[in-house]
Amino acid sequence: MKPMKFLLAGVAATVIALGSAQAADLVLGSATEPSAIDPQFSRTGNNQNIAMQVFDRLVQTDAAINIEPALAVSWTNVDPLTWHVKLREGVKFHDGNPLTSEDVIFSLTRAKDIPNSPAPFSGNVAAIDSMKALDDLTVEFKTKKPAPDFIEQIGFVYIVEKKVAEGASIEDFNSGKAAIGTGAYKFKSWTPGDNLVLTRNDAFWGKKQDFDKVTIKFISNDASRVAALRSGAVDLIDAVPPGDVKTLQGISDLKVFSTASARMIYLALDSARDKSPFVTDKDGKPLDKNPLKDVKVRQGLSKLVNRQLIIDRILDGSAEPAGQLVPKGVAGNDPSIEAPAFNADEAKKLLADAGYKDGFGITIHTSNDRFPGDAEVAQALGQMFARGGLKVNGVVAQPYNVYTKGAGAGEFSAFIFSLGNSTPTSATGLRNLLMTANKDAGTGSFNRTKYSNPAFDEAMRTATAEFDAKKRVELLQAATKLVFADVPVIPLYWQKVHWAGKANLSYVANMTEDTSATLAGLAK
Amino acid sequence: MTVFVIRRFLQSTAVLAVTAVIVFIGIYAIGDPAEMLISPDASQAERAQVVASLGLDKPLWEQFFTFAWNALHGDLGRSFVFNRPSIALIFERLPATLELTLTGLVFALVLGIPLGLLSGLKPDSATDEVIMTGSIFGFSLPSFWQGMMLIMIFSVWLGWLPSTGRGQVGEFLGVHSSLFTLDGLKHLILPAINLSLFKLSLVIRLTRTGVRETMPLDFVKFARAKGVSEKRIVFVHVFKNILIPLITVIGLELGSMLAFAVVTETIFAWPGIGKLLIDSIMRLDRPVVVAYLLVIVSLFIFINFVVDVLYSMVDPRVRLGGAQ
Repeated sequence: MKPMKFLLAGVAATVIALGSAQAADLVLGSATEPSAIDPQFSRTGNNQNIAMQVFDRLVQTDAAINIEPALAVSWTNVDPLTWHVKLREGVKFHDGNPLTSEDVIFSLTRAKDIPNSPAPFSGNVAAIDSMKALDDLTVEFKTKKPAPDFIEQIGFVYIVEKKVAEGASIEDFNSGKAAIGTGAYKFKSWTPGDNLVLTRNDAFWGKKQDFDKVTIKFISNDASRVAALRSGAVDLIDAVPPGDVKTLQGISDLKVFSTASARMIYLALDSARDKSPFVTDKDGKPLDKNPLKDVKVRQGLSKLVNRQLIIDRILDGSAEPAGQLVPKGVAGNDPSIEAPAFNADEAKKLLADAGYKDGFGITIHTSNDRFPGDAEVAQALGQMFARGGLKVNGVVAQPYNVYTKGAGAGEFSAFIFSLGNSTPTSATGLRNLLMTANKDAGTGSFNRTKYSNPAFDEAMRTATAEFDAKKRVELLQAATKLVFADVPVIPLYWQKVHWAGKANLSYVANMTEDTSATLAGLAK
Repeated sequence: MTVFVIRRFLQSTAVLAVTAVIVFIGIYAIGDPAEMLISPDASQAERAQVVASLGLDKPLWEQFFTFAWNALHGDLGRSFVFNRPSIALIFERLPATLELTLTGLVFALVLGIPLGLLSGLKPDSATDEVIMTGSIFGFSLPSFWQGMMLIMIFSVWLGWLPSTGRGQVGEFLGVHSSLFTLDGLKHLILPAINLSLFKLSLVIRLTRTGVRETMPLDFVKFARAKGVSEKRIVFVHVFKNILIPLITVIGLELGSMLAFAVVTETIFAWPGIGKLLIDSIMRLDRPVVVAYLLVIVSLFIFINFVVDVLYSMVDPRVRLGGAQ
């Protein structure tokens, strides 16, 4: 009898184990928290992370930021100003109603005018002149001027249900009443500062999800998040600090998922003005000529930076050296541009050619709480510049909220910043960071140093007006080559991003730094 | 008493007004909220739209007077980040902090007073030495490190207690609190201990000093001579006297525990107001920061008022001002 009982217990245990494997729940520890559930309220990453699980867009991106169809299955331009977008058949909202053209038109109209939205999608729909439903599943768009990347603009706006979202307030979304999407998970509840609960949408049009219930816990402190994973309180965490990656890899029932992101960390140089506030002569007196205006000086400084050393010693290997805006794999990357190699002799020669044989004085500014190692990297840069004969008057690190104001107001001469590229091509990043700052043209919104290169501006205008996708990428590559030869900023590295989870899980590490249950699964 | 209350009220209003001005200008001087809020791939037009919709394009004095005018009408503004009334955000998270703080305070008092008495009544004994040495640890170990150690020991190694979040919230008599569920209580233990260790040491030391100071006084000797039992002397006569410094310090500490439990809330991902404050400062969410500090200042004023009233109840020598 006894062995029999034992056997039965064993069978029962196996059944229970199998049962729990099928009905799996996921507890996700996330560093960031959304500010609202309305998917159109804010375009920032923390809001998108939640939105992309409950709602869908016309198109989405894969792990390497390539466009793939989502709610739209095809988009064709009939003439330069007209686009036809065909919607996926049989898509249902969480309340059972089918997705129609009307919902799409409503969503794209609504995106323009979300009250008090701090990061609206209005730019994404700015090109639309008019919209018309040709039938239930086809929308015709007219654009104000030819827009070859039209789908990249409107495609990333989240689609809400007209019937539900019309007149809904931000509270209606937060409570779940209006949080009705077409996404892989249904919204269940949100307790601000604590957690957010999702349940599987069994009628989802895409791949069936592995988890019945997903609980996202908001744990902003890095050490606490790692501890929560190690104690088993959560199954998966994002934003693993680079310093903890080795430790977590060494634990047998945990796994780390890593990828190089498209976030470029760079040193911006005040190269446009005749005088720069933190450039001095060797004695610390202000210079009446700004050496950073000379491309040779900028090239020299770039060659003084030992990128690999920074990556190995400060970032625990969690980065790739950068020589341009986007890394390999993202459209617009020019494989012929290498990250400038460290070469002190060449650098000194370039500085001497520019008339600064004995160097000059400079102060480097940085944030100290924005990304891993920001303050340390600035110190390292200071030492590397000093080695090239410059007199480094100081390295100033400030909290990000204080720092951005100074950086935006042109108070610094050399300062560290990052630019995360989340669009399928480098066009948006190039436009915002390096094109001439011009409010009316909508270019250069993050061009803090007011760098201006007419040849590059022209190249970008040609590239973004090109309808042939392949040709457009080639033109972007050419523009990239042209502008980085002029060293508008010193690209330093692309951050690597890490997720870590239990060994029975899989996660798609992605360049857009998205944390979403749709990217997680049970390891097969 | 009435005069006292009126005078207090007028003083409080002045303090609140000054706080509002200082905080408003302070946050304005730190940085540009628009820089913190807009998306990294925003265009110039979007940026201008955001700045205008938050009213950041107006001069400082105009922004302030709009705020002050609305505040006088009971509206402390909407959060830049959440687009919800800042007062609602604060009161939504206040219960979590309240339960954490009160539990921490109860820990500190229930353990601290007996230990302090024990120490004070038997000075320089082995028990006293152990308690005093222990309290030095409570004082000197940084709260952040303590919290991480608690998590490492009780969550990661032993696996007894959860390390993050608030746990299940139960309802009792219309009040929602994690005190009412087992899961909630489990989640509460570690953060409450973390928050209370410093206060515990403080209470031990205050009680011990109080006992040591009071015991040699004449009224104790007289009571002994009269034949009052030692128990009654300690728990009635001496205890009443040591309560006065305790109430003062605990009153102040309660305020700071409520307002600035930031470290504990951050480590244990506790959804309280301290974390809201830090996040809001980081994101330059001015309406929330201003509203928060106004609420906290009111809270401090209220606690101080209660402390003053308690004084007069415990110590008949103290009569609230205004009577003379």
